Amino acid sequence: MRPLILTLLLTLLLGGCGYNDFQSLDEQSTAAWSEVQNQYQRRADLVPNLVATVKAEAKFEQDTLTQVIEARSRATAIQVTPETLKDPQAFERYQQAQAQLGGALSKLLAVSEAYPDLKSNQSFRDLRVQLEGTENRITVARNRYIQAVQAYNVKARSFPTNITARVFGYAPKPAFTASGDAQSGVAPKVDFGNPNPQPAR
Amino acid sequence: MPLAFFVSFSKLSRPVRAWLAAAALLLMALFAPGLAQAQKLQPIPAPAMHVTDNTNTFDARQKSALEARLVNFEQATGSQVAILMVQTTAPEDIAAYANRVGNTWKIGRRAIGDGLVIIVAKRDRKVRIEVAKALEGAVPDLAAKEVIDEAITPAFRAGDYVGGLSNALDRLETRIRAEALPSPTPPAPDAAQASIDGDDALAGRNPNGFQWYDLAVFLFIAVPLLGGVLRRLLGRGFGSVLAAAIVGGLAFLFTWSVPAAGVAAVLAWVLAMLSWSGLSSRPGMRGLPGVIAGSGFGNVLGGSSRGSSSGGGGFRSGGGGDFGGGGASGDW
Repeated sequence: MRPLILTLLLTLLLGGCGYNDFQSLDEQSTAAWSEVQNQYQRRADLVPNLVATVKAEAKFEQDTLTQVIEARSRATAIQVTPETLKDPQAFERYQQAQAQLGGALSKLLAVSEAYPDLKSNQSFRDLRVQLEGTENRITVARNRYIQAVQAYNVKARSFPTNITARVFGYAPKPAFTASGDAQSGVAPKVDFGNPNPQPAR
Repeated sequence: MPLAFFVSFSKLSRPVRAWLAAAALLLMALFAPGLAQAQKLQPIPAPAMHVTDNTNTFDARQKSALEARLVNFEQATGSQVAILMVQTTAPEDIAAYANRVGNTWKIGRRAIGDGLVIIVAKRDRKVRIEVAKALEGAVPDLAAKEVIDEAITPAFRAGDYVGGLSNALDRLETRIRAEALPSPTPPAPDAAQASIDGDDALAGRNPNGFQWYDLAVFLFIAVPLLGGVLRRLLGRGFGSVLAAAIVGGLAFLFTWSVPAAGVAAVLAWVLAMLSWSGLSSRPGMRGLPGVIAGSGFGNVLGGSSRGSSSGGGGFRSGGGGDFGGGGASGDW
């Protein structure tokens, strides 16, 4: 009788082990993460041009500018690779650094409203549009990462696929949490000088 | 796995055991947790036409003129451009809403993804040009912003919605035409509609992510095991029939196609009838054979999603566009 039970058990495990799902879900969440990083990198690449443009405005608030420069260097100093993605603390640090840069940028743009010369400067306006587009892409990429990780984590935590996860070392992954943001998946709202900005979701 | 837990299983009477075995197998197969997310966001209207106006801004003549224009553009270039007029996008900002629209409608050709949506939120006085990734080269953010600032905003301020949109389309179509995208092909049958019980059933993978490979692994490894167990429990005839019925039922669950389920059931019956003495459990049998370990059988439960096609020469989603947040927003 015992071999029969074993046989039956093997059959059941074979049906629901989800090994292949882990392959694709792991891959998907990693790819979604690289997209998030790409977009953050793109934002970081825009900052020097923005800073240079703003510096041309001689009377500009130096504090705000310094904050942006420092936040950018802090944000670019932290790199989260797919390996360290498994470390919630490192992930949290990365997220905070990026959120600080986002906050510093939106403050800079808010302050720039008081400088008519700067506002009418074409290259500053272009940079603002590009920055806005980048923030949108960051939001989309973050949402996709959250969804990919959700699908992966559900597999990694629910029975019976959690057994497979344990055997093959697919630990649950950290996702963005609502710290400093209005809600997870919403990048810090960059205020482009609307008199009555829509609250971010 | 603590096997001791299952030892009491062998103390049960025979039919109960068989029933339990079958039930457990079904439960395992049905174990696919769904993520239901309750959202109180603005609903996205069904895309019946290239121009969707939920604000009654256009009269019938204006709407059909815009529609005809976009249909012609799609026939000439293959690229899909859609216009959506809504009152408001609250609680989302227009960028988030536009992104959802783009990814829900799947505007653009499947293989190319060349889609673009212009969203006007009339009460919010906001407009956005949402560009699929494939067109971000043709219509970069700065260009989209330029179109809004120079073509749309002045006209909208004067209350001329049709004029503003027409001007915007002039510029956008010029940019897309300059992008040297592949020529349009005659509309192929929508792959999402293709049921997998056709002649192309062995194409390997249907849109729902069902893999024949999984079914094959299941049939040739699990079924003999199951058949062996059931035969030992219930005798040759009835055990094989039950195995066939279970497999047929599972196959129907996975594929929703009666022929495929029938084939699977017959195969299962044959396999179960063939003698299979069961595995001898050697103490120390650790690793499973690769093919068993590698058979992910959980992802075959994809709900069969049939795209709704619209009649009357209206808008048919090309099923392509991946919208990653490109484009620009503006207000007037």
